[in-house]
Amino acid sequence: MSWDHLQLKPQIISAVQRAQLKSVREVLCVSGPDLQKMTGLSRSDVQELLHAAATASRTHQPVTALQLQRGECHRLESGLRLGTGCQVLDQLLRGGLPVGGVTELSGESGAGKTQLGLQLCLSVQYPVEHRGLSSGALYICTEDPFPIKRLQQLISEQSVLRSDVPRSLISGLQFSDHIYIEHTADLDSLQVCLLRRAPLLLARGLVRLIVIDSVAALFRCEFQPDDWLERNKQLLTFSSMLHNLSQEFTTPILCINQVTDVFSQSANSLSSSSSSVCPALGLAWANQVMVRLMMRRLQGKVFLGDQSSALRRLEVVFAPHLARNSRDIGVWREGLRAVLDPD
Amino acid sequence: MRRPVSSLSLSSSLKVKMVRAGFQTTTDLQNLDPETLSAEASISQQEALEALQAARAGEGAASVTALELLQKEEEFRSIVTFSSQLDDALGGGIPVGKMSEICGAPGVGKTQLCLQLAVDVQVPQCFGGLGGQVIFVDTEGSFQLQRVMDLAGAAVRHCSLLAEDEEQRVAMTTFSVETILSNIFLVRCHDYVELLAELHLLPDFLRSRPKLRLLVIDSVAFPFLRLHDDLSQRTRLLQGLGLQLIATATGHNIAVVITNHMSTRLGGGQSQLVPALGDIWGHAASIRLLLRWEESRRLASIVKSPGHMDATVQYQITCEGFRDADQSEQLQRKKPRIQNNQ
Repeated sequence: MSWDHLQLKPQIISAVQRAQLKSVREVLCVSGPDLQKMTGLSRSDVQELLHAAATASRTHQPVTALQLQRGECHRLESGLRLGTGCQVLDQLLRGGLPVGGVTELSGESGAGKTQLGLQLCLSVQYPVEHRGLSSGALYICTEDPFPIKRLQQLISEQSVLRSDVPRSLISGLQFSDHIYIEHTADLDSLQVCLLRRAPLLLARGLVRLIVIDSVAALFRCEFQPDDWLERNKQLLTFSSMLHNLSQEFTTPILCINQVTDVFSQSANSLSSSSSSVCPALGLAWANQVMVRLMMRRLQGKVFLGDQSSALRRLEVVFAPHLARNSRDIGVWREGLRAVLDPD
Repeated sequence: MRRPVSSLSLSSSLKVKMVRAGFQTTTDLQNLDPETLSAEASISQQEALEALQAARAGEGAASVTALELLQKEEEFRSIVTFSSQLDDALGGGIPVGKMSEICGAPGVGKTQLCLQLAVDVQVPQCFGGLGGQVIFVDTEGSFQLQRVMDLAGAAVRHCSLLAEDEEQRVAMTTFSVETILSNIFLVRCHDYVELLAELHLLPDFLRSRPKLRLLVIDSVAFPFLRLHDDLSQRTRLLQGLGLQLIATATGHNIAVVITNHMSTRLGGGQSQLVPALGDIWGHAASIRLLLRWEESRRLASIVKSPGHMDATVQYQITCEGFRDADQSEQLQRKKPRIQNNQ
């Protein structure tokens, strides 16, 4: 690490090198008095050193929320959202998935989570004015093989789902060319994918959505019940990889999760819902998630034209910018679409 | 202020000579010139000068009486939370000059309360607020502009309804959604090193912005829980962080509000939800608020406070922000009062 660019007095730089502090991070992780002891510098010199190290570590100056609103800093909260393809669902989500965080979608098997994941892989390819991000998607499968036939069906029916988009635009998009599919059967290969392949695709602008289907599968089967400490550590490492990717490339990340049964609502309950299931992987994972959505299969059928579908409900469990709310949806040939109540 | 000579920061031989010469306390050294002192205590002129300077320097750092402290505290208002029940339980609101911690499970409302405080600190002084600015340190990415604008708009509407006299109406011209947004400084930290760096640079920032009255860190747990490899380093860093935050709160007279996650503690065959980051971190904050669910109700409990009783109130999160649970009753009570004053 070259200390010269920090613009410090030469005596400070030589003291730091003598103390074998190799980076700005190391300097910041040591307290003032400890630094004095290690380098033998005076108190004011140590303050100068810490000040210079802090300024070098800082990624950006404080900005006001007004500057954010005016769009003056793109790296931060830009308010950009990825639409789902259904306008009613986009209203529920106030635009769609936020581009700067991890969104979790949990539900029982057969609820329709993969359907929404596939639909997002298509909606991301539309231009920004049609609530997309003009880029492709990376779909990571951890349990079932990728449903390629269903994807083909969705692609062929896009003009039915997206009636708001001109047909010429839809036929101009080569959807299947921009969906990158990975199969990772264990945690190690998932890590490799996230540390190597994903940053490459993101840096080249080829993808701007990552879907992981599902997170629960790998963490539930690879650990014994007693290893929960080790599992939590792996979960934290995994989620910090996701957050780093999401922030560095302002990419929405959708994690599909399974559910577990809840036997009794103890006094220390984690959520308000009195349902019999809750998302898997526990509190450690829940703390890492910014937007939590849940998909449920309900009794009853809904009809649209000549099609029928089992009724489902998409619910917002928590999000910093969304109210707790839900919409009834059906799964059709052309994709997921909300069912509007008859007035 | 009277101090014994032996407590001054001088060399011990000098102090012994002075005490032997009969100078026991600093009052004995008052109004003395260096020549007289050096003659009487048989010390050199230089040493006499040093001794007199030390005696005088001590007078600057006078101790404060408890009454003066109380008066000083009462000068600084608290930051209201817009939930009158919680404000009552806290004796006015979140106190300035202290560190408060908000713990809770995900989704219970920690970020919402922080955003509400970031708006409430800006309420003009004629409405009972502080008219101050806020610096919001976001480590999780949960600062959503859409939501801040909701809360700002609701606060402006709330205050315009309450504006009665000329002073308040004039204040409302400078209290709008735009000005509220312009007084919130946002910093995004991606890991604990960036967080520590920001806190090193904070004193300069505070000096350049004397109207800053609130520092929010949402959350402290997120970056530090990643540091699970070296727990002793984590504890050391957290202790230093806690001390730095308390010093900032008292030294610059700002309210420091931090949020913390919950984690599970196993013991005796049972699992319990406890605030994360351990017991040592638990000592840092003066006030600890625990937000939790009970069936479909949201409850806020004061679990640690030197000045208030432990209390639990119910709150809700509406589209307007953090409010009392029975908001409709609140509004009805307010209307008759305004009519009486007219």
